[in-house]
Amino acid sequence: MSHAMLPKASHDELTEQLFVRDLKVWLADQVEPQARALADKLDPGASSNARTETTYERLHEDAAFRDWASVRRASQELMWDAVDRSVARQRNALETTAAAAPQLGSLMLDPNFVLPPYLAEGDVHLMPGGYHVEDDGVGQGAVMDRGGAVYMLGKNGGFLNDGRGKTIVQHLFACYPDFQPNRILELGCGIGASLVPVAAAFPEAEVHGIDVGASMLRYALARARHLGVAIDFAQGDAERTRYENASFDLVFSATLMHETSASAIGRVLAESRRLLRPGGVAIHLEVPQRYETMDLWGKIRGKIEADYNNEPAWAAAIGTDYAVAMRSVGFADVVVGYQDACFAPKRDAGGFSDDSKGVFRSWFVASGRA
Amino acid sequence: MAEPVHRRLDVPSQTSGEDRLLGMVAALTSELAVLRERLDTVERLSGIDAAAIEAFTPDAEAQAERDALRLGLIAKIFRPLKDALARSAGGNR
Repeated sequence: MSHAMLPKASHDELTEQLFVRDLKVWLADQVEPQARALADKLDPGASSNARTETTYERLHEDAAFRDWASVRRASQELMWDAVDRSVARQRNALETTAAAAPQLGSLMLDPNFVLPPYLAEGDVHLMPGGYHVEDDGVGQGAVMDRGGAVYMLGKNGGFLNDGRGKTIVQHLFACYPDFQPNRILELGCGIGASLVPVAAAFPEAEVHGIDVGASMLRYALARARHLGVAIDFAQGDAERTRYENASFDLVFSATLMHETSASAIGRVLAESRRLLRPGGVAIHLEVPQRYETMDLWGKIRGKIEADYNNEPAWAAAIGTDYAVAMRSVGFADVVVGYQDACFAPKRDAGGFSDDSKGVFRSWFVASGRA
Repeated sequence: MAEPVHRRLDVPSQTSGEDRLLGMVAALTSELAVLRERLDTVERLSGIDAAAIEAFTPDAEAQAERDALRLGLIAKIFRPLKDALARSAGGNR
């Protein structure tokens, strides 16, 4: 399933994008095991007090590792380059389609918006212009939507990329079966890939989403409109939104934390608590890797992502003890665990447990009540 | 794919990175040469124009064959990358 705002791909553009997907999979499946074996060979051992850092340094002394890291980064750069050129080619058509969307929902931009410093430092995922670049249209949002679906390798709901949102809904069904939110907010909604399925699951609710970029949000509004979903989008900072205390029943984030900073994570959790009405629910979904259970290669991989794919708070986000952090900002009945990746939420289907089934098959979820 | 070849001597004064890059460029060029001549043959035999190519959508079987072609291209061109890391990891530098 697709939607009217999704940038199209010509014959050659499609091949370029499929090539990037396949190159990424090949590098991960065929070459990464060799890098892992090399890391094990260079491991100074458990007695080292800087085991990960030492191994990471030693890996960089080997040109074969450097080349792999370099081509891996090149695959990401090729992806954005291919999608960016494709979107530029059809820019006028995208603006026309956006303007022709049914008048559902709204967008509130903030001309005095200040970008969080962690996003000003580098473009997350190496996407040129980052989440925030202003192009007076919907171009950057289109790049993020099409590129994001390619980046997820088609494993998160294809071009709708809605697996995380549907997993949020399933978590509500699993852990809060009688909960019926009337007012919903996503912190860091991006182009609305996760927010649209949450809104669709609760059609009576008033639904809001905030993020940092004007272009991204214009695209998000047009995309939601063409999908027939009414969402009120606003430019805002997840650490300090403009909404009143206790004004939402459900506040959630979906893989937001690892793109913030170590100090921002606690403030986003506190903000999600401040915004909840008594009895309201906050859900924070993250990647299924957890730092404390990771082997050496998992930790090395986290450093590679942080250094060569601009994932600024990867280690902080997967190392946070969310049960402690959420209780400390006033949440009650906090649950922490893994929600099976879900593409068709069903009441009574459950799917929440202490065990991860792995990347793309489970998501880490921490939730609690106000 | 087979294991990396044993006894592969360095070219004196050439970095291993340059060596790999040249290997990949050579493989890439060979693939491009094959592709260009195949495309030329198609054009000469059929007279298919650019609009027809844009309008073409492969069926499931054709898509699977095209996916296999793309994966084969990646595995061939980037093989030096994999072999070099396997050599480093295995100790046969």
